Amino acid sequence: MTEILHVGIDLGTSRSAISASNGERFVVDSFVGWPADMVAKKILKRNVLIGHDAVTNRTMLDLHRPLERGLLKEGSEKDVQAVRELLQHLLGLVGVKNGKAGNVRAVVGVPAAALRTNKQYLRNSMKGIVDSLMIVSEPFAVAYGLNALLHTMIIDIGAGTTDFCVMKGRYPTEEDQRTLTIAGDSIDQHLLKLIEDRYPQANVTIFMVREWKEKFSFVGQPAPRAVVMAPVKGVPTELDITNEMKAACETILPPVIETMLDLLSRVEPEFQERVRNNIILSGGGGLIKNLPGALEEALKQVGGGKVTFMEDPVFVGSDGGLALALDAPDSDWERLSA
Amino acid sequence: MRAGTNDRVKRQLLRDAITDNLDTMRGVLPRPRAAAPSENAWMRRLPLVLIPVTLLGSSYLVSEPPVVRTQAPIRAFFAARRASLADSFEPVKAAAFPLAIRRVVLDAGHGGKDAGAESSSNLVEKNITLDIERRLRDLLQKNGFEVIVTRADDRLIPLRERARLANESDADIFVSIHVNSLQSHTSSHGIETYYLGPTKDPRLTQLAAEENGMSGYSMADMRKLLDRVYAGVRRDESQRLAAAVQQQLFTNLRTIDPGVENWGVKRAPFVVLVATNMPAILAEVGCLSNEREAAMLREPQYRQQIASALYRGIAEYAKQGT
Repeated sequence: MTEILHVGIDLGTSRSAISASNGERFVVDSFVGWPADMVAKKILKRNVLIGHDAVTNRTMLDLHRPLERGLLKEGSEKDVQAVRELLQHLLGLVGVKNGKAGNVRAVVGVPAAALRTNKQYLRNSMKGIVDSLMIVSEPFAVAYGLNALLHTMIIDIGAGTTDFCVMKGRYPTEEDQRTLTIAGDSIDQHLLKLIEDRYPQANVTIFMVREWKEKFSFVGQPAPRAVVMAPVKGVPTELDITNEMKAACETILPPVIETMLDLLSRVEPEFQERVRNNIILSGGGGLIKNLPGALEEALKQVGGGKVTFMEDPVFVGSDGGLALALDAPDSDWERLSA
Repeated sequence: MRAGTNDRVKRQLLRDAITDNLDTMRGVLPRPRAAAPSENAWMRRLPLVLIPVTLLGSSYLVSEPPVVRTQAPIRAFFAARRASLADSFEPVKAAAFPLAIRRVVLDAGHGGKDAGAESSSNLVEKNITLDIERRLRDLLQKNGFEVIVTRADDRLIPLRERARLANESDADIFVSIHVNSLQSHTSSHGIETYYLGPTKDPRLTQLAAEENGMSGYSMADMRKLLDRVYAGVRRDESQRLAAAVQQQLFTNLRTIDPGVENWGVKRAPFVVLVATNMPAILAEVGCLSNEREAAMLREPQYRQQIASALYRGIAEYAKQGT
């Protein structure tokens, strides 16, 4: 009998995670690169590099980040190829090698505001990689995995998008969900600009900035000192970027708070307090220090609330997808052939 | 929530998720939900085709009366013109223009698996637009303009991506190159230039809807973009640019093809015009459905003449600012 492997995949703009029913879980950077020429191919000794490998060897690669704002870039054959390589790599990590694991049933999370056309495009791009495919909104997958199905709000802050989902005990509608394109990547861009403005002689790349953000990100107080090393006219130099880090990270506060309060205002009045006290923060952006406190401070203007941060934000989406995959009946999986 | 209730809710959620996926696979449109009314509900219920939003505006034509001339054999004409084409172009240096016009974005319509219009002799729009774009780019660069192209080869670039490239390049103007096709009127052929704006013309509405297909913008995004469209300065500048380009196209091309018609300057909500931040036009430089014009478009010298005319139009617009 063919063994069935169920997987949940969180296909993220910056990082993609996979959780499998055989207990394996992995996360990779969402970068795919092909050697730029024969010399690079000879040095790298591989036809394709994925994840951190691709980033560190990017000078020798035709590098692609196939997802933008959480969705597969449309119209680029190379990006379709890149996402297929990424998915095959993720599946390979959990034991799927050339289909030898048998039947693969996958649930993939996408931004809440993804259109049907976006989902169909992703579905088409995944043909032949998995046997059956279900595509759901990422915050919904998070809520499902946490059993947070009623009177809760999920705020999933990724690299490309910040997704919101209010769970009301039913499949979320368009009115229950929002997607903002203000997320980790926009923080990176702000931070890079602020650093360049303050230290115009410093030679800084977006990759360096992203690493610094992941290490030192914070909003509000207290302000942990953020001191980094970067070349200035070729000389490694210490740069204090504490103020810049705070300013860049705080750029997401106004839109996130506004969206959170707007969605709360649309909840039925008798349930608003319960939702306010069950706000769950997930995604890499949830790692920003003091962010739950900043959101709770904003909730005071509507009667207060509680924001819980997930300790394992990297896999909470893929774990939720896996939970969906395991619960879906066999008969439904057969109808969802990829 | 109690365990039994929890399981029941989960089963229902799964059923709904699967139904949503099956509908996506079948290409079924999202079902309208009986959600609680909200002040923004009317926005969310706009039909998927956004063009009806633009029907609130008005459209008008700026054109000269059509001129019908006798037609000359194509190849004989080009044989005679070949020697004089290089001399007919008078270069104008960008340094003579006001500082406002330095950087131009050129957008060759369609590309990759989106071939655009096709003639009965298998000439495809995407190849013509790319060729003209390259020729125009060379002319502009030769005269000191900085040129950014949205596509440099045969690949599909989504409309949203084209607009993003243009906006990020901080360009002064945006020129999109297309070729028309009128299957219901194959005997006629003409030139028209669009700038951004609403239209009531159902043909233009249909044309814009076809060109805007798979643009990548959500309804909410398009709503925000359209709100910006009617900002007067950009629209006025776009109109001036369109008028200058249309004038040069018609004046120059009718010396080669006396039968070409001037279909004038029009407004339409093409995504590439709506979503860009600078004065923007879309020039339909010919008509592939007309056999004679398709044959002319096959000739490199004719495409060079189109590029020259486009250049003259851009140059004329730039001079108007002094």
